[in-house]
Amino acid sequence: MAQKYELKSKEVWDGNMAAAHALRQAQVDVVAAYPITPSTPIVQNYAQFLADGYVDGEFVMVESEHSAMSACVGAAAAGGRVATATSSQGYALMVEVLYQASGMRLPIVMTVVNRALASPLNIHGDHSDLYLGRDAGWIHLIANNPQEAYDMTLCAFKIAEDERVRLPVTTNQDGFLVSHTAQVVKPLQDEDAYKFIGEYKPLNPMLDTKNPVTYGAQTEEEWHFEHKANQHKALMDSPAVIKEVFDEFEKISGRKYNLVETYKLDDADIALVLMGSAYETAILAVDKAREEGIKVGLLMPRVFRPFPYNEVAEKLKNVKAVAALDRSAPMGTTGALYNEVAGALAANGQSAIMTNYIYGLGGRDTTVEHILDVIKETNENAKAGKRVTDLQGFINLRGPKLSFN
Amino acid sequence: MATPKEMLTTWDKVQFGAVLPSFEDPEHKKRSKFHSYNYSVADWRVEKPVFNRDLCIDCDFCWVSCPDSCFIVEEVVNKRGKKQAKIVGINYNLCKGCGVCVEVCPTPIKSLLMFPEYVDNDEALKQWPKKD
Amino acid sequence: MKNITNLKEFACTPDRFQGGHRLCPGCAHSMIVREVVNATDDDLVISTATGCLEVCSAIYPYTSWDVSWIHIGFENAAAAISGAEAMYKALSKKDKLYNEDRRIKFVAFGGDGGTYDIGFQSLSGAAERGHDFLYVCLDNENYANTGGQRSSATPLGAHTSTTPRGRVSYGEKQRKKDLTMIMAAHGCPYVATAIPSTKHWKDLATKAAKAISTVGPTFINALSPCTTEWKFKPEETTEIADLAVETCAFPLYEIEDGHKLRITYRPKQKIPIEEYLSRQGRFAHLFKPENKWIIEEWQKNVDEYWDYLQRREEAGV
Repeated sequence: MAQKYELKSKEVWDGNMAAAHALRQAQVDVVAAYPITPSTPIVQNYAQFLADGYVDGEFVMVESEHSAMSACVGAAAAGGRVATATSSQGYALMVEVLYQASGMRLPIVMTVVNRALASPLNIHGDHSDLYLGRDAGWIHLIANNPQEAYDMTLCAFKIAEDERVRLPVTTNQDGFLVSHTAQVVKPLQDEDAYKFIGEYKPLNPMLDTKNPVTYGAQTEEEWHFEHKANQHKALMDSPAVIKEVFDEFEKISGRKYNLVETYKLDDADIALVLMGSAYETAILAVDKAREEGIKVGLLMPRVFRPFPYNEVAEKLKNVKAVAALDRSAPMGTTGALYNEVAGALAANGQSAIMTNYIYGLGGRDTTVEHILDVIKETNENAKAGKRVTDLQGFINLRGPKLSFN
Repeated sequence: MATPKEMLTTWDKVQFGAVLPSFEDPEHKKRSKFHSYNYSVADWRVEKPVFNRDLCIDCDFCWVSCPDSCFIVEEVVNKRGKKQAKIVGINYNLCKGCGVCVEVCPTPIKSLLMFPEYVDNDEALKQWPKKD
Repeated sequence: MKNITNLKEFACTPDRFQGGHRLCPGCAHSMIVREVVNATDDDLVISTATGCLEVCSAIYPYTSWDVSWIHIGFENAAAAISGAEAMYKALSKKDKLYNEDRRIKFVAFGGDGGTYDIGFQSLSGAAERGHDFLYVCLDNENYANTGGQRSSATPLGAHTSTTPRGRVSYGEKQRKKDLTMIMAAHGCPYVATAIPSTKHWKDLATKAAKAISTVGPTFINALSPCTTEWKFKPEETTEIADLAVETCAFPLYEIEDGHKLRITYRPKQKIPIEEYLSRQGRFAHLFKPENKWIIEEWQKNVDEYWDYLQRREEAGV
């Protein structure tokens, strides 16, 4: 039996420690992982928990991220709770197997510490890895600080393993800015956390050898479409369960999460849409802008996939201009968040003026002042009643002004 | 390779996660409709092996080398009280007509021979080579 | 360990890999797989790398398996089985096994592409970590599933679709990688070579039984003559396998604890390599006068390797 870890009502944890404690409290049966900056401390912390008797599951230190996710799939199909952690290049190496995990409907939880993708090499935070996995059929939850990294990871197990969902889930936190930044975190006690997540509910376990099952059959043109459609439906239906889980979590923690988070959006004329640690910077910028008389609010999809497009459109229905801020190199088009929000608005007949900003690549600083500039530009669009600023701008980029229209 | 019509289902009725159960009744080892045991590859054949029980010595070479698990075996007890396999026939749903069984059959006059698919088995047995 | 005495008794084993799969007529893969899964009475969980076996034994909505089975990708059969095996350990530690009364063994199958090449890293990792499983390489010396491209198991001079014989080429330029020895060098408690054959059925079945019952990572490299890509008649599969052994092109041996080598079959009279090569279309061009040196090279390699094995056995290292 794993020992109880004595926790104070307030701990000082960075995002990695917070995620590691959530994995420990979930009493994961198999963690198969490979180290990579900046998520390495998650598996190191977990290894220490194991070494100190706080975990009795198996911890498999494989020889690559590809094998990490493959072992996770093998373990999950075998029939038990499974989790891993990764970042960036490791995430990229896993991509093939991410699709397999979701296609087989295996409720694996992956705590991702977001980091840029090479080349050129960079170990710092941006959302390139998250965007890379966005079509992989996983649910992607966003955490902006260590507390949320902890909370989202606990919720992730409960969402993933729900019979109505049975899909893998990632929790995302910004490399270094969240993963290595120590803050006060209010944890649940071990027994409360485990009770919240609940016992693992087996479904088609390979280890029930009295009733053998085949995983990973080939579906060619007469079956593949039907299977993908079925899986897509499960993702599209999952928000109902996600909301339920968030509500239940609020009851035990007092912390309320939503499919779409907002800040001072109710009376806003303009809105910024962004996710990750920069959302917290933007909160400060919004307060400052409001002191200057600009009625600005913020929106963040807590759930990046399935994308809550109707909720996003509903929350943005009264704003005149929206700036979507993407923390990933868009490489040939507008950023993914811009595209999602624009699509959501268009689908609901809304016509707020939309612009796109690229920021924070490879851990580039984004300050309150930078966001204030975006707010002011967006406000120009709202006042003019049409787009008078660039379609795509770049925040805190050195050199001559870069923009696209 | 088309799926038989009765097996085709719609997107809302496909197997969850494409997972296939081997058995419909695991306790009694009754194989499910998803088991290839219930699929026929008979149309792959142009020639078929015919089995002549009278000549068979139950060496089981055919059983061990058949790539398609075609040989139907009955467990019997020999004179010394040991269990042994008796070949009782060929599952023609599973046989692709490769001819390995005939090749490995060691009896002086083979107890397995290939015949064109259209030849009736009784007719084939009548045509069997005789000892000189 | 299952006691394998004679074929009459072994043939009473209910098959757990069934027909109705779509492997080619005369395919050696299924002969090997049947013998391996029949060589234990324990329950099995199997992973299979992408390849002929996988593609042909699990075409939705059909499966040919009477045991739990998973296919993920081409390069990760060993990683997948190590995950499943880790889950078994975790659930037994936590007293959460699904069937307390059953013992489960773990087996992975991969072709030479999925084993020698793309899956080698995950195999090496799983072996090094010491998972309790048997990995069986179904070595047909090419990527048969995708139309016969060369792999690092393809032998010298073989025509494949990516090393074709041509006006200025004699086919594959490299010798076959010695994967069995590489796995032995991992310190695996048991590695062996085997072939599908009526003459050597017991050699394969016993090795499989031994490997499955050995605790830790074990490896069997099974030569799988490929009627389609080696170009011989489907009914000749086991005969070609026998010739590989009789010529010492593919000697049968086992190695315990990474070093104790034992030759499990010694041909009475080693047959010249031409007898093996000439029976396969993939080597037909080697019999042109200008390629005579390749056959000589083959014979030299075979002789040297056979000599090496014998000396290792004798020295007990």
